[in-house]
This record gives sequence, C-alpha cells and structure tokens, in this order.
Amino acid sequence: MSVILPLLFLLTAISGTAVVLVRDPTRQIFAIAINGLVLTILFDALQAPDVALSELAVGSAAVPLLFLVALMAVRTQAPGAEP
Amino acid sequence: MSPRIRVTLLALSGLILLPCAASVIAGLPAFGSKIALYGERINAITPEARHVANMVSAINFDLRGLDTLGEEFMLLAAITGTVVLLRGHRGEGNSGRAMRRPGRAVIPRSEATVLACRIAGPLTCLFGLYVVLHATVTPGGGFQGGVILASGTLLIYLGEGYSGWRDAIHSHWLDALEGGGALLFALCGLVPMMTGAAFMQNILPLGTLRDLFSGGLMLVENLGVAMAVTGGFTQLFLEFMEETREADEPDEPGEESA
Repeated sequence: MSVILPLLFLLTAISGTAVVLVRDPTRQIFAIAINGLVLTILFDALQAPDVALSELAVGSAAVPLLFLVALMAVRTQAPGAEP
Repeated sequence: MSPRIRVTLLALSGLILLPCAASVIAGLPAFGSKIALYGERINAITPEARHVANMVSAINFDLRGLDTLGEEFMLLAAITGTVVLLRGHRGEGNSGRAMRRPGRAVIPRSEATVLACRIAGPLTCLFGLYVVLHATVTPGGGFQGGVILASGTLLIYLGEGYSGWRDAIHSHWLDALEGGGALLFALCGLVPMMTGAAFMQNILPLGTLRDLFSGGLMLVENLGVAMAVTGGFTQLFLEFMEETREADEPDEPGEESA
C-alpha cells in the first residue's frame, strides 16, 4: 500500500496536467476520461468504493460522451452559418 | 469590466481568502489519520438501528435523507434547465427517427463493434440493476446504478447506430421515469406523515442485516433515485445527440452517422 498510493497520486497529477496541456479538443476528452479512470482507482485504493463507482460512471463515461457530442455539434455547423 | 479592474479584484480577493484557506488547510486532520467521530458513531449505531450494511446508503437515504431529497430536485432542475436551453432554438418537435446532417461522413461500424456492444450492453444493464438493487448491502446505490444503466443505453447507440438508439429510447418515457422517480422520493417523505410519523421516518419493516431486502423505506427511496437518474441522464444524452441534427430536415430513415 505504501507504494501504490504515492504512485496513484503521481498518476493523478500527470493525467490531470495532461488534460490541460493537450490542445486538441478530441484528445483532451480522452485525457479527461483517463483522468477519471485514474481517480477511480485512487478512490478505490483509499477505500471509498461508492465514490469510485460514481467517478467511473460519470467521470469516464457520461461526461466524455457529452463533450464528444457537443464537439460534434459544433463541428457540423458550417463556418458562418446561422447557429 | 476592464482587465485592470479584474486583476485588482483577483488580487484583493486573494489577499482576503488565501490566509483563510491556509488556516483551514493547516487545521485539517493528517492524511490517513483515523476515522472522524461522526463516522465512528454511524458505524457503531447504524447496523443495529437500521439493519443496513452499507453506511453510505444509510446516511444518504435515512439519516440525512432530506439532503438527498434536495439533491434529487437539484438534478431534476438541472436537467430540466438543460432540456429547455437545448430545445430553445430547435423547437419542441423531436423526430422519432435519425436524420442525416449534410456534410458529415457516415462512418460504417465494424461487425466486431456491433457484436461487442450486443454482448456488453445487456451485461452493463444487468450490472446497473445489480448495483441499484444491492444499495443497502454493497457499495453503490440508486445514483451509481442509474448512471450505469444510462451508459448501458449508449452501447445501443454505439452498436446499432443512431436510428436504432432512437427506436429504443423514447423521450416521453424518460420524462415519466425522471419525474416519477422524484415524485416517488417525495412521497417517501410525505406518506409516513399520513401515518402520524415524522417526515421520511422509516416506517417499513427493516428486514435483516446483510439481506437484499433490508433498510425498509430506504429501498423505495433508492428506487426513486435510480429511476430519476436513469431517466435524467438518458434524457441528457438524447438532448445532446439531438443537438447535432436539425429538426426541420426531411427524415431519411436508415441513415446513421457516428
């Protein structure tokens, strides 16, 4: 356990930073999903399975999907067209 | 507001708020220190008082049930707001079938994707139902199970395409599911009052500890939350998906796009 927790904190920091540093919106969405997955493992390691389940369902499935669809909606609008 | 005023405001609020935040952070219990007093009390009394093995559910649905009722209606209001906002310029009329946006590529899905989704979809929904039903026994509950169920419907979209998804998902059912869930939760608070008990008092038989049917009224409230969350999240997905197409286009059944 003494190795796992610092490792997970490091992964959380790396994946969180990656969300900010990745500039392409589509890749950014996948970075958010990965960040959610890492947080899920972290919450599980900290013995909070309820929060982990919520994070898994919302953070790495529902929110990335909504972002993807929103991005699609923006992209299908022709430039200069009336929204 | 000019940038200069904004920076001044930021500096001013930082000057006031940062010392407060620092003092709070310094006063926090150390990482990994023992369970707080409230948690210890809950762990000590709940198994006997409520016959429930999952403390989080006991707090959410019974001990602090009023807070969850508030959250329930916050979710309802948030989703209603989103629907109103998104339907605002698209109009009320939801077409039952998928429509094709000009200029967007139709990406054919591989048979492996369809097969994987057809296998994983029912299993995901089964797991969601399991999480909902075992709220008082194992980690999870109405909210988590509801979101898993809503994500399960997305596998229909991934496997069968948009038109298949729209055939399976009906907006009116989702409205009924969401509103009905919130109503069920509110009734769980009001019905005990008719019998002379307090608001949301657990009047149903509590059952046996670690049994599926334990917790009494908690199970009904949990079901209400599950219904509202499933309906609400699926409605959210539906409204966002609808946003990528235009309502006044002619229908072209059979067409789908990724």
